[in-house]
Amino acid sequence: MAEVLLDNVTRRFGGIAAVRELSLHIGDGEFVVLLGPTGAGKTTTLRLVAGLERADAGRILIGGHDVTRLEPAARDVAFVFQQYSLYPHLSVFDNLAFPLRSPARRLPEPEVRERVTRTAELLRISSKLDSKATRLSGGEMQRVAIGRALVRQPAIFLMDEPLSSLDAKLRAELRIELKRIHEVLGATILYVTHDQIEAMTMANRIGVLREGELVQIGSAQHIYEEPSNLYVATRLGSPPINLLPAGVLPVPDAPAGTRTIGVRSEHLRIGKANGAAVQGVVTRIEHLGDQNHLHLTVADHRLVTLIEAHADLAVGERVDLALARPLCFDAAGVRLGGS
Amino acid sequence: MTDTSGPVVIRDRAGAVPAPPVARVIRGLSDRAIAWLFIAPTILLLLAINVFPLIWTIRLSFTNYRANKPNVPLRWLGLENYTSILADPDVWQAMQATAHFVIWTILLEVLFGFGLALLIDKKFRGHSFWTTVILLPMMLSPAVVGTFWTFLFQPQIGLFNYVVAFLTGIDPSSFQMIGDVPLAPWAIVLVDTWMWTPYVMLICLAGLRSIPNYIYEAAEVDRASKWRQFWSITLPMVLPFLMLAVLFRGIENFKMFDMVNLLTSGGPGSTTELASITLKREAFEKWRTGYSSAFAIILFVTVFGAANIYVKALNKVKQR
Ligand SMILES: Nc1ncnc2c1ncn2[C@@H]1O[C@H](COP(=O)(O)OP(=O)(O)OP(=O)(O)O)[C@@H](O)[C@H]1O
Ligand SMILES: [Mg+2]
Repeated sequence: MAEVLLDNVTRRFGGIAAVRELSLHIGDGEFVVLLGPTGAGKTTTLRLVAGLERADAGRILIGGHDVTRLEPAARDVAFVFQQYSLYPHLSVFDNLAFPLRSPARRLPEPEVRERVTRTAELLRISSKLDSKATRLSGGEMQRVAIGRALVRQPAIFLMDEPLSSLDAKLRAELRIELKRIHEVLGATILYVTHDQIEAMTMANRIGVLREGELVQIGSAQHIYEEPSNLYVATRLGSPPINLLPAGVLPVPDAPAGTRTIGVRSEHLRIGKANGAAVQGVVTRIEHLGDQNHLHLTVADHRLVTLIEAHADLAVGERVDLALARPLCFDAAGVRLGGS
Repeated sequence: MTDTSGPVVIRDRAGAVPAPPVARVIRGLSDRAIAWLFIAPTILLLLAINVFPLIWTIRLSFTNYRANKPNVPLRWLGLENYTSILADPDVWQAMQATAHFVIWTILLEVLFGFGLALLIDKKFRGHSFWTTVILLPMMLSPAVVGTFWTFLFQPQIGLFNYVVAFLTGIDPSSFQMIGDVPLAPWAIVLVDTWMWTPYVMLICLAGLRSIPNYIYEAAEVDRASKWRQFWSITLPMVLPFLMLAVLFRGIENFKMFDMVNLLTSGGPGSTTELASITLKREAFEKWRTGYSSAFAIILFVTVFGAANIYVKALNKVKQR
């Protein structure tokens, strides 16, 4: 395991920069998650670290060594690809053993067997070791792909949306499993996703990407509570943050220049209509099982917020609304009043 | 289980009367009858031009029939044609010449074809232009190829002898590719390789292009050398394609006639007399129709049997 440093890295594809002057430090043993919508440059960033893509500018250091010009094989990284990139003609066992059998490594065969079996148990694919890779379900393939990274002890694990093709239950299990592996092995992991739950639960730090630029990086709590701008604020939170023009709802001590107010469930106080200054109308109540979404209309603006399961509200009912310390943004979308 | 035409069963199962198939409404024909109507012409054609001649040939192979003397009464010979063919040293020589031809052409075509495919797959500048150039020989008719190589092989004026002479310093008129007994079998191997290597290349290229790039990327990250990538990814994944190419070329060359007939007509002596040339001699020069029918059946069974065994092996490789 080692620390990894990206220093002002840029990668262009014919004019457009997929990654733009990206600087990122991943500490030894740290779990960093890159979050961003499709096309934000997440995969490209990982490929740059792996050496599958050459940086047009900037430097990449792994364990203090400049690897910017090195081949992937010389960098000692493990990569879990977005598509399951299994060797289709090999069995699951041979797929897992493939990186260990590299002549550069010279592991004795019993040790290979030992490690493969252990990894297979971890990912619960022991019963599939003799199957051919193409005979697996999508979820099994992805676990083999993860396993092929885990059998090694590379300087850094690069994972490109490894859980996106799994069902919710397995995803939740593997999330915990990956977190555990991270803690047990002390692994350095750079992990890409557009799933905010994965980001929130696993990351030591979350980096938010937008069009190839790193907009903000920090702990999950920091990103959630103190987003630097509107873009970051909309990336986290479920239901998504509500954005209202300033003035629709009164904000006590709003900073000067506030144009947009970001309202999350925890910022909103809802009460039975009792003659408050601002009132909203309940337009719909959605029961999602684990949460309940309340849809409101306030002066032609729609709000979605969480309520407890048995709130005594009905569609069409008027409610009192008040805000408690919402997020305030200026005309350019930068958050105001933050530290 | 007495009157179970299709729709009745459906009604029983669904518990409701389904709308009758459209075809039934229009013409009063069942779907099955219409299906037969559509495939009947093809089946009749196949019977007329494939199955019937085959059966007729099998029948003739047990007789002394001669096509140039149709009025001689037929005599039933039993297996006599077959036993005399298998005892005929000329036939065995033809089989040997065929084996030499088939094995060497396949070997060389696979070697060069695969090699070229690997090069072309590198997508260097102008690779599509070179692909077209390489494919040209395959697009020529065997008759044209035969004629044109006869000229190239001319000892006095032929380009081939001139080039060999230029490269090695041998006197160009000191050897004749299609006239010298030791050289002639290689002359036909050379021409067939020249003509059909592009075909093998094309099939290999299809195989190479079917390997997704990210597999190589994964291998690279897994620290596999180029050499290991070739042996553990490229070769196994192209192998089914390669085997298919071998099958096609094997069958084709086992039956090879036109190009070799034009180039050497089996000579000098009978050094390049492949099985199908012997067959043509027996059938249309000696007019031993019954005998040559038996020979044709033997060749057919050989190819058919070998191809079947081979296809089984191919399927095994694919399923691995
Ligand atoms: N090989 C390439 N050639 C040209 N453009 C590319 C290439 N790879 C990526 N891009 C472009 O770079 C941008 C970033 O792509 P990237 O694959 O990194 O996105 P991503 O964040 O991983 O998206 P997703 O969530 O869909 O996987 C995209 O606009 C994409 O079109
Ligand atoms: Mg991606």
